[in-house]
Amino acid sequence: MSLTEAKTATAIRPAVRRRGRSGRAAHSRLSRRRRRAGILLSLPALALVVALIGIPVGQAVYYSMTQWNGITATWIGPSVYTALFKDPIFWRVVENNALLLLAVPFAIGIPLVIAALLNEHVRGWRFFRSVYFLPTAISWVVIGMFAQRFFAATGVLNNLLSHVGFGASATDMLAGEHSALVALAITFIWSMVGTNTIIFLTGMATLDPTLTEAARVDGLSRTQIFFRVTLPLLTRFIQFSFVITVISAFSALFSLIFVMTSGGPGFGTTTLEFFIYQAGFQQVQFGTAALYGVVLFVIMAIAGLVQLRLIKPDDGGGW
Amino acid sequence: MAQIELESVTKEFPDGTTAVSSLDLAVGDGELLVLVGPSGCGKTTALRMVAGLEDVTSGTISIDGRPVNDVEPRHRDIAMVFQSYALYPHLSVYDNMAFSLKYRRAAKAEIRQRVAEAARILELEPYLQRKPRQLSGGQRQRVAMGRAIVRQPRAFLMDEPLSNLDAKLRVQMRAEIAQLQRSLGTTTIYVTHDQTEAMTLGTRVAVISGGVLQQVAAPQELYRRPANLFVAGFIGSPPMNLIDARLERGGAAGDDAGPVVVFGPHRLAIPPEVVAAHPAFERYLGEAIVLGIRPEHLHDAAIAGGPVIKLPVRLREELGSEVQVHGAIGTAAHVSADAADDLRSLATIVARMDPRTKIAEGETAEIAVDTAELQFFDPASGDSILA
Repeated sequence: MSLTEAKTATAIRPAVRRRGRSGRAAHSRLSRRRRRAGILLSLPALALVVALIGIPVGQAVYYSMTQWNGITATWIGPSVYTALFKDPIFWRVVENNALLLLAVPFAIGIPLVIAALLNEHVRGWRFFRSVYFLPTAISWVVIGMFAQRFFAATGVLNNLLSHVGFGASATDMLAGEHSALVALAITFIWSMVGTNTIIFLTGMATLDPTLTEAARVDGLSRTQIFFRVTLPLLTRFIQFSFVITVISAFSALFSLIFVMTSGGPGFGTTTLEFFIYQAGFQQVQFGTAALYGVVLFVIMAIAGLVQLRLIKPDDGGGW
Repeated sequence: MAQIELESVTKEFPDGTTAVSSLDLAVGDGELLVLVGPSGCGKTTALRMVAGLEDVTSGTISIDGRPVNDVEPRHRDIAMVFQSYALYPHLSVYDNMAFSLKYRRAAKAEIRQRVAEAARILELEPYLQRKPRQLSGGQRQRVAMGRAIVRQPRAFLMDEPLSNLDAKLRVQMRAEIAQLQRSLGTTTIYVTHDQTEAMTLGTRVAVISGGVLQQVAAPQELYRRPANLFVAGFIGSPPMNLIDARLERGGAAGDDAGPVVVFGPHRLAIPPEVVAAHPAFERYLGEAIVLGIRPEHLHDAAIAGGPVIKLPVRLREELGSEVQVHGAIGTAAHVSADAADDLRSLATIVARMDPRTKIAEGETAEIAVDTAELQFFDPASGDSILA
């Protein structure tokens, strides 16, 4: 570097530094202002969340440790949780919830098969789509009433069985503890068919049709294409369907249980959700109901975290 | 390798649209045949019928002499490269390329070896563990090619594989595909709407319009001897100048002078050797014809010789390697029945000239015409008189 060049460079450097410093300062002022605006703009939403979710959850946690009849609440303390976990009826109810989770694979698998068939656009596929979607459009109460008549001793199921020569195996499914839970699970599966079928059909409609064409040319049979191309690309839709089905299994069966079995026989079909209703509105023990509510909330929070873990923004799935 | 034949192949969709009409084509062993035509002309439908992705309404498609109309795509032993590449997004580049071989029960070692070889040829080795979404357009295109190559199929079918790439990459990939096809020697049908791609890639080029095959020929033949007005107008950029004209006998009535072509105020004598080679000229004497002149067959008379016409110059476009001069012809340009109305006003012809030309806008230029290269078409049928 010549002397003149060196002088010029020295003269330029402080100017660049000055510009750099003032530029950084301006940038940090701008980012501070943006941060402040962001906080201000999110405050109303935050206030709503706190008012509508935070405070009620806090109250529920507080009342769960009281004996509360709806008017006066007597503080008992955290020992209620210890007592609850020692209560065999509570565990029976949790077991019912766990057993109902066994219906989830069917509530996802059956709609998946139906969606795959409908997606072939066979003759009359629109009609069949409406038929499968019907349970979603019907109230849970109506579904429950229909299911009660279907599974009853003189119901449609037993009539069908006797018509095809299996009259001897006819039984009142709603009268037995285990069979009632099975009947409830079957009804639950049926009621989820519509929603999940539509979710999967939507997923299939988003897939690039050239992928299946490429697979056909690549040498795969239709079954192989479904399992090796379509299914992996539906991963996110299956995850979504899994999450809403699990949530429904925990918190959307009240109407079905109320209409079909009222939680019985015994505690055969009582779930945590129904347990809350029984404690609060049948036994007027709102503190106990809040206790069950908190437990259900914790379970659902865990399910939610699992969901967040499953549906990562960049897990390699493509849709 | 394979020979592919289409005999009177027709495709009608349920809504009554005829996408391909009575298509006859034969693709030779190891040949690269390009199907070219405007959007919606039926070229992709024809390719999909060969792949087995569309049913054939009538006619027969044969591969190596065996009719395959009712054969499932997976049993045709062909590989297809799609316009969208159709890469499986949930699989890595390696798995995409190995996908077909896995389901054809190839040995693991063989799969590894074939994928490695294809990756080496296509320079995809650093990307084998990546997912398609982590690749650029050009890399995805190469993976799609690689997936086809590893199969070592009897034929490649390529459906506008370069149309999603930018212009520079398209030129590069075009050359790579040409080299690859030549080195592999695999029979290939290549569909494109880009005539430059068609002309540079194809051993032969089949021009399709409205589901009907217009002409199949080597690129040069197609360019120099278009079979009809559609091919003449479609192949070449800028396209051939098409002018409504008349064929008349030169000189006074009754003498033996050769025919001349007359358009507007211009008269051009047709070289005797052209007339001698095409006796059909006699039939058109005194009749209307469509005259075709390629832009490069019009020169600045100050630079090149030949019969001269005088044209008022409307526009001069500098392209570096050439100058394009737009001149008014003094009569209507030929417009086919199905052409857009806005073409009717284009009573100009375009000349591609030597960049040294001094012709300027606004002047009346003397343009030398290479009359040996003139094309003549029947205005009713659109067919070439020279064919």
